Parts: sequence; C-alpha cells; structure tokens
Amino acid sequence: MLKKLKPIQIGKHINLHMIQTDKFKTNLISVYFQRPLRKEEVTKNALISMILPRGTKTYSSSKEIAKVLEDLYGSYIGCDVAKKGERNIFQFYMKLPNGKYIEDPEIFQKGMNILNEFINDPYKINGLLKNDYVNQEKENLKEKIEGRKNDKMKYAYDRCIEEMCKEEDYSLYVYGSIEDLEKLSEEELYKHYEKILHTSVVDICVVGDFNQEEMEKMIKKNIKIDQKEVVLVEREKIEYNPYEVKLIKEPMDVNQGKLSLGYRTNIPFESELYHPLVVYSNILGGGPNSKLFRNVREKESLCYSIFSRVDKFKSLMLINAGIEFENYEKTLSLVKEQVSSMNQGEFSQEDIESAKKSIITSIRSMTDSPYMMSEFYYTQAISHNEDTIEEMIEKIKHVTKEDIIKVAQKIKLDTIYFLTGKEEVL
Amino acid sequence: MMVNEINNKVLKEKMFVKELDNGLKIFFMPKEGYTKQYAIFATNYGSNDSKFIIPGESEITQVPDGIAHFLEHKLFEEPEGSIFDKFSELGSDVNAYTNFNSTCYLFSSTDKFYENLELLVHFVQSPYFTDENVEKEKGIIGQEIKMYDDNPNWKVFFNSLKAMYHNHPVKIDIAGTVESISKITKKDLYKCYDTFYDPSNMIVFVVGDLDCEKVFSIIEKNQKKKEKIKEEIERIYPEEPSTIVQNMIEEHLDVSIPLFNIAFKDVDHSLDGKELFKKDIATKIILDMVFGRSSSLYTKLYEEGLINDTFESEYTGEVDYGYSMIGGESKNPKEVFKKVLNHIQNLKSLGLDQEDFERIKRKHIGEYVSYYNSVEYIATTFVAYHFKNIHIFDYLEVLKEIEFDHIQKRFEKHFNQDCCVLSIISPKDVH
Repeated sequence: MLKKLKPIQIGKHINLHMIQTDKFKTNLISVYFQRPLRKEEVTKNALISMILPRGTKTYSSSKEIAKVLEDLYGSYIGCDVAKKGERNIFQFYMKLPNGKYIEDPEIFQKGMNILNEFINDPYKINGLLKNDYVNQEKENLKEKIEGRKNDKMKYAYDRCIEEMCKEEDYSLYVYGSIEDLEKLSEEELYKHYEKILHTSVVDICVVGDFNQEEMEKMIKKNIKIDQKEVVLVEREKIEYNPYEVKLIKEPMDVNQGKLSLGYRTNIPFESELYHPLVVYSNILGGGPNSKLFRNVREKESLCYSIFSRVDKFKSLMLINAGIEFENYEKTLSLVKEQVSSMNQGEFSQEDIESAKKSIITSIRSMTDSPYMMSEFYYTQAISHNEDTIEEMIEKIKHVTKEDIIKVAQKIKLDTIYFLTGKEEVL
Repeated sequence: MMVNEINNKVLKEKMFVKELDNGLKIFFMPKEGYTKQYAIFATNYGSNDSKFIIPGESEITQVPDGIAHFLEHKLFEEPEGSIFDKFSELGSDVNAYTNFNSTCYLFSSTDKFYENLELLVHFVQSPYFTDENVEKEKGIIGQEIKMYDDNPNWKVFFNSLKAMYHNHPVKIDIAGTVESISKITKKDLYKCYDTFYDPSNMIVFVVGDLDCEKVFSIIEKNQKKKEKIKEEIERIYPEEPSTIVQNMIEEHLDVSIPLFNIAFKDVDHSLDGKELFKKDIATKIILDMVFGRSSSLYTKLYEEGLINDTFESEYTGEVDYGYSMIGGESKNPKEVFKKVLNHIQNLKSLGLDQEDFERIKRKHIGEYVSYYNSVEYIATTFVAYHFKNIHIFDYLEVLKEIEFDHIQKRFEKHFNQDCCVLSIISPKDVH
C-alpha cells in the first residue's frame, strides 16, 4: 500500500521522491527542472536539451556516451522538454538494469556519475558549448519544428490548442519556433543553461529497488545541484468564457480529415469538480464504451478513431476524430449532440460506473511502470497535491451524477479546428 | 493433464504451461507485486494467410485481402451487442491487433481477473456475423485504412516490402484496401473463422499476480465442449524468388522532410525454433554494431547532417521471410543509401570489430532483462515468438552460444547489395 506522498527536502528547492519496490528489473532516476513556459526561453530550452546529449567533459561525443552506456548493459540516459500547463519542464532520465540481474553490482554508482556529469558538465570549448554541436542541433531542431505536420493526428490536436490559446503562453510549441532559433548565439545559450541550473525548482524521482537511507545519501552526494536565486513558476490562468466559437479550417494534402474540438472546462485541478470532470470526459469519449465511440463510430461508421481528453493543468478538454472531408458537418453536429446530451444528464448509472472503473484501472496500472510512477509523483508535486494513488481512487469513487452535470454546465466550446483536403477549402 | 514449469534463473521468473485435450496451449507467468493482470488469446493466423486448404477439402480457398483484420473487428460483436460493454462493466480494457502472422485478443485488468478471462475466452470463440454488421464495419475499417494512408512511417515501411517481395503476401497491407474489404462477406468470415480459430491453432498467455491453478481451471472448464479439428491447415505461400522487385521506390506525401527506409531482404530462411532465434539475435547485434549510436557510420552521417535522431534499425525474422530495415528522416536519402552501401563494402573487407561485438552483447543482455518490467511486452513478445517455435526464456542461452565468427559470416551474407532496396517518402512538389 502506498503511503501519503512525502518527498524529502534535500535542498531549499530540491525535493527527492523515492519509490521503492522490488518488482522492477531496473532503477530509474528522473531529474526535473521547472521553468516557466515563455516565448523568451522555450526555444532555448528545446535546443539545449538536444545539445547536452552530444557530449560531456569525460565523454566528448555522443558516440563516447553511447559506448559507455552500452558497457553499462544498455543503460539509457536522455534529456527532453515537456509542457505541463504553462510550465516548461526540462527533464533528465537515466534508466539502468538493476545490479541483481546482471554481472555488475557497481552499475548504479557508475550511472549516477554519468548522470551528474551530463547535467553539470556538458562538453565545452573555451567555456562555451561546442560550436559544431550547437549548429548541428539548430538544424535538427529546425527539422523537428517543421516536422510537426508529419503526424497529422497530433498536428491537428496541437493546432487546435494553439488557435484556442492564441493569446496565452500555452499556445507555445514545446520545441519552440524557427524564428527564435535562428537568432540564438552560443553565449546566450550557455548563459541560459546556467540560469536553468541555478534558478529552477528541482524534483528528483527514483523508482526501483534500493535502501532508502543509502539512496538519499547517494543522491545528495552524487547529483550536485547548485541553486542560487530560485524563481518560482506562477499558476496559469485557466478561466475563459469564449464569447464566440472560433472556426479554423486548414488545408493540407491529406487523405483523411482530422477534426479537433477545443473546450474550456473552467475547472481548475484544485477544484472538487476536477475528478467529476475526469469521469465526465471518460463517459463522453474515454474508450469503446463511451458515447462518442458508440454513437459516432459504431452507429454511424463515420470514423475509426475518436476520443476526448482532459488537459489537467490548463483546464481544457479536446475531442478528436479522423473522418472523411465531406462528413465534417454531420460529425460535428453528432459530436455536439453528444456533448449537449451530457448537459441534459442523458447518461446512466452504469455509464458512470463503467467510466469510474476504467479510470481506476488506469490509475492503478501506473504502479507497474517506473516511468509512469515517476511522472505521477512529479505531477502531484507540481500540483501541490499529496494524494496517493489510493486517495485519488477514493475521490473518483465518490463522484456523483449531479457533480458530472455541474461539470457539463461549465464546459464551453471555444474552437473548432478541421485539417482538411486542399480542394476542400478553396 | 501435466503442468510444466519453466524457470529462468537470471531473470528470476518462471512460467507454467499446459496443453488441453483439444490442443489449446495455456501459458501462465506469475508476476508478484504487479497490479496489472494481462491475458492474450491468440491465433496463429494473420494477414499472410489468405490462401489455404481447409482441412477435409482438396480445393484451395482464396479470400479477400484484409480479412484476418476484418475478422478481428467483427469478433467483438455479439447477438446482444458489443462485447466492449461487458468488459467496461468489469472495468478492464479490451483490445485486439492483427499482424502478418497472428491475431491477438487481449485485456488488461486490475480487478475481477477471472471473470475477464472467462469473457475473453468466450467472446473469441463465439462468432456472430450478420450481413448488416459486416456492412457497417466497412465504413469504420475504411477510415482506419485512410488513417494509415496519412502515416508516412507506415507508408515508407510498406513500400519497402512491396519493393522486396514479388509474390509473398507480406507485401499486402494488413488491413487490405477499401476495395478488397468491400468484397468481404459473412460467409468468407465464417470460413476463415472455422479454419483458423481452432483451439489447436491457438494459445492463451496470462501474466500477473494470480493463482496458477485457477487460471488453468477456468480455461479448462470453458474448453470442455470445444473439440479440435484433427488435420493440419495447409497454408499456401507462393514461391518467392531470392531477388528483389525493384531497388528504389518513391512516393510523395505532405511531409516536411523525406523519410527513407533501406531494407535488406533475408534469403536465408525456412528456419524455426532455436536456429531462427540465433539468426534473429545475431542479426540484431550486427545492426547495432554497424548502424547503432556508437557506430562510426551513425556518427559520420549525423555530423554531416544527413540523418537525425530518428535513425533506427531493426530486424524481423519469420519462418518463411525476413528483412533488416534501416531508416529515418533525411534531407538526402539517396546520399545516405550510397554511404551505407559503401560503408558495408568497406566493413566486409576490413572485418567487424570484436570489441564492438562484446559491448553490444552486453547492451542486449541488459535490455532483455529490462523488458521484463512490462507485462504487455512480455505477453505480446511471447506470443509472436511462440508461433515461430521459440521460447523467449531461451534468449540468454542462445545469445551466449553466438560467436564472433558467426556474426562475421552472417554480416557478409545478409547485407548483400543485390537484395537491398531504398524506399523514400518525399514531400509533395510545391508547384
């Protein structure tokens, strides 16, 4: 049974979360630096996350890093950026096989040294990140930003949010923009990386089999984080009442149209209506038993994929479906019909029970994945929520039909986005 | 009925096996401390099996492309509606997938496992097809096919199969085409169902913190009435030449940068069991040695800006076909292709590096162990390998038998320029 979430404070703004279990074959360490999601830094964060894997003080190229990781039985180290509401998370991961299963009892210690160097000692020439690495990664990041449109489903989803939150920082693409990328100099980049290291709130999660006291000592000793003036990230604004629905049709050379509807839920995750919102979205579009699946896919054969999803931090809900171009009007009106039926309370006690069970199953399932456990602890930490998995489940169980109807009445359609064929818009 | 126990001391894992009178094989792997319970009911029947002789008949039966996948969709239908509702009531996630060689039905639960298991075994063995529900599915699968048509990764992969294979059905899309599925009838579905969903052609794999006896007894009770067909199903695969169809295939899609896939057709086949496993493991080690993150080729191509971190390699080894694929995004796929072939030529004269071999072997051992974190991975991998007569627990033992010399020989034989194709998805012309 999991106890109340209580991280250990190992620095003024550094929290250590230890998730000890003997069921995994690996140990996972994640180090999260919290940044505000801002135009001034989102591109820099993304670019730095691509440069760091190019080399450290001891291992001066990605080839050298790859070699040492292969020697450590295929351990993995990585660095990435993520968007959690209007926070830009700069994160490091290291996954190592547990020494019990391979012939290297020192593996964890060796891994920690590499991780620390990866974070604190990137490969530098004359105090700056290597020029070649910076330029190559600028080119790669440019390709990545341009490559957004290659995954059409994801593209439609992201573009809907972008249009919906046009005036908000939340519209920023997690990998930044080409325009900002081109201007970046090596000096600026390194200065910014130092700012990340010195001024961010840090959380460290460790998932695996270890002795907690020893682990605490080990982390304190090996992962050195030199904090100075730490800047806290502010809570994002989430309440919006759209006075008219925005409609965006974007033409692209695609075979299938992608419809994306963006809603403002106006329900902060701190609210007692947050758990009812999760149940609401599950009844509407959570899985094969949901209203959207049953009515739009199974009854009308309009699509293969259709779902709704809640964006916790920014209090949004998105509905997505892949359809024929000519079925746009029909699908849109069917989806709207399903959403308004939620308002009218047209769902049964069985629908509620099924939705709750499905949510509980997915919450419980997180405990079987080291990565998901780490993410869960971190997400709770940045939401200032100490609820354990069991407590979360209790809250889901207590949701009533009245709560769900209250949720339904708060949700407002903000933006309709349709990725459609080239001829369709002209 | 005997229950066999198989142990793996390195992984500290075990598995129990039992074969029922009707030929159904049941595998159970306990996973103490795990919350998730996972079961797959699989048939050794995939999109490749569209031509066969029904036991007891003499004529060849040929069915429309995409039928195995269509059948997978339709098994969820019951006289009283969709089986999804019943799984939802139990709070579990049910799903299915079809690939070239198998069709798998699965669920994952955290509660009421045994009820879920009964339901799984029951619904897969109770087909209910009507003209109406077959017609309705055509629209849904049509959208699934179109979704894949917009997926450049899927396209670049399939086009390379089309360029490699003259006759083998692996070149045909798993879901078929909008046209081919339009011909599927209720009768076709029953014909395939009756042939390939015979218990002797199927297995159940269960993993989780569960009671072994109960797992076996529930399935056993359920199977009492189900008899097996005595004869083997004869599957007809056309003669496949060892040559390729064309060495270049290109298609245009709305993408920002070209995607490419370099594929080597494996002509050394008809192996199964440990021999096939050995080939599989050896080839994957070679791919990592030659194209992996620590290889000089990767470093060179990356630093020249010809590839980015999407560059990956993989090997697929089936009983009757196989291929290695190396691909990713590139501004200039043709240049990458040229350099890859040159590099292989050079390595053939210089020889591979034994130090690389030892290091990559360690990497694969660690990765193999780590995979056992995931019940999904265990279950899906077990099933795929089982149908090739391979037990995934044998991995470390087979790996240890592989010597550097074997690696050299396999490298020289498999990475043959004459059996190599380049598939490219290019951006659409802006004009």
